Amino acid sequence: MRTAGEAALTYLASGQALVLQLTPGFVIREVNSYACRRLGITPEDVQGKPFEELLVDFVSSGDLMSFVDHDGPPRLLSLCTANRVPESFFFKFYTIPDGVLALGNLDVDEQRRLRDEVLSLNSELNELTRKLHQANAELEQLNELKDRFLGMAAHDLRHPLGVLITYTELLLTESRERLTGEEVGFLQDCAEAARGMARMVDDFLDVSLISAGRFAIDPAPTSCEDLLAGAMVVVRVLSDRKQVRIHVDNHAGDRMVIMDAPKVQQVLVNLIANAVEYSRPGQEVHVELRAGGGNLEVFVRDEGPGINPEDKERLFTSFEKAGTRKTSGERSTGLGLAIARMVVETHGGHIWVDSTPGVGSTFAFTIPLEPEINIAK
Amino acid sequence: MTPATESVSFDDARYQQFLAALLEGDRQQARAAFEGWLHEDRPIRWLYQDILQRALYEVGARWESGSISVATEHLATAIVDSLLNLVYPRLFRRPSTGRSVVVTCSVNEHHQIGAKMVADIFEMHGWRSYFLGANIPLEDLLKLINEKKPTAAAFSLTLYFNIDALIGALTRVRESHPTLPLLVGGQAFLWGGQARITGIPGVLMPAKLEDLEAWIDAHCR
Repeated sequence: MRTAGEAALTYLASGQALVLQLTPGFVIREVNSYACRRLGITPEDVQGKPFEELLVDFVSSGDLMSFVDHDGPPRLLSLCTANRVPESFFFKFYTIPDGVLALGNLDVDEQRRLRDEVLSLNSELNELTRKLHQANAELEQLNELKDRFLGMAAHDLRHPLGVLITYTELLLTESRERLTGEEVGFLQDCAEAARGMARMVDDFLDVSLISAGRFAIDPAPTSCEDLLAGAMVVVRVLSDRKQVRIHVDNHAGDRMVIMDAPKVQQVLVNLIANAVEYSRPGQEVHVELRAGGGNLEVFVRDEGPGINPEDKERLFTSFEKAGTRKTSGERSTGLGLAIARMVVETHGGHIWVDSTPGVGSTFAFTIPLEPEINIAK
Repeated sequence: MTPATESVSFDDARYQQFLAALLEGDRQQARAAFEGWLHEDRPIRWLYQDILQRALYEVGARWESGSISVATEHLATAIVDSLLNLVYPRLFRRPSTGRSVVVTCSVNEHHQIGAKMVADIFEMHGWRSYFLGANIPLEDLLKLINEKKPTAAAFSLTLYFNIDALIGALTRVRESHPTLPLLVGGQAFLWGGQARITGIPGVLMPAKLEDLEAWIDAHCR
């Protein structure tokens, strides 16, 4: 029959406690199987070695020896465990007939607190993740709703604006001789305002199509000359009124390019109109077309206030505008460049801007001369 | 336990591997198995009922029979909780019905996955779910119900010995909201106990997720 002490030691040795028998000089004589498993050692590895070698931090044996049969709290010692992560054990040292018995265990309360805390954090994280997904889904739905509204509103506004523009132009053409100069001016202002509004509505419609992923292009062979001429008709009125001179250098000539002409023309008009609107009377805008390197390259250079470097990145994003103001306070939706980027990139090209504050800006884009055959229709 | 959704093919060997991963606390293995089912585009209800609920009930039964420790059960539950995150990108993209539900676990109840699954089932049907985490004070629950004015409130109970707290909560909610539909369910009622709940007016106890879905559908008509 075992004594109570032997029974307790047997229980400890087979349980989850580190049990080490040491010589009086703290040299390891025996270790239990839990210690081997937990510390990743074998009895042969450690038998005959100083106990200190198991410790992560050097603690002098003299110091440890003072803890033998000590009545105070256990000594906290860190040991390197099997997965090479140090772990802290509470050690008691007792004198036995042929040496010292070292007993080490984890603080169960501390482990439980740690586990509860980790589980609670995990739970909180999962709840937050769920809320995040829920909020994302709601935001996406709101965004779709916004695009649908934008599309519907733009579509419904187009028709009355068309009527307004047509009849105003008709009056200007058919009844001009019966109108006073002032009345003609009023009608011209009306027509210009309606055309500006129509452009905005078209932008909204384009943006709603882009957001809904339904933006498509309809490419067909187009001459560079026609592209440029079509754009110049639109912007000439604006530049004349503002007394900004536009210089055109068409080095691409009448080269044919496969593109969606109305949309690329819209890009060109947008860039030239912007350049004019950011110029002061008497300044010049330079438009240059080149065919080279497999691309049609278009450059629009102005002598305006330029763009701050921090504004350049977000310039091609919807509803973002440059920090600088247009010289006559012209209004804009902040959509033109975002749409331009979408048109150019859908063609397989690139759009960018080089600018020096106080000197001017050059907006440029490319359209491949030989388009990819998978251009979306 | 047999799978509840018979129409979807059930690979018991894969399920057993998944269960073994949960019991071993092998998060990576459990996640890989679950992602496999997600890639196969398995229905969410099938994933919830025939995989996750089934596995959790089995883990719970093993704990009750003393073959696994509380710590193992907690770890398995934590793994399942994190797996739900993988379902959410599919879950929350349903058209809204304009209806909403508050889902809670009631006081003293720390097991929240069942309640979360119920909240997700409502979301699947286009309801906006307000999920209250584990062990929410009753006053907070009443405050949320007053604020959100939900179409229904759902309560989950995992451990039967918390039933008195649940009855207390149901009674208080019923007093302040006499017509609000109250739904109750959970692992605690697997082996009975319904009689103590159904005495409270207007309380419904769908036995399975299909029954809950049938109630949701009927309520949307």
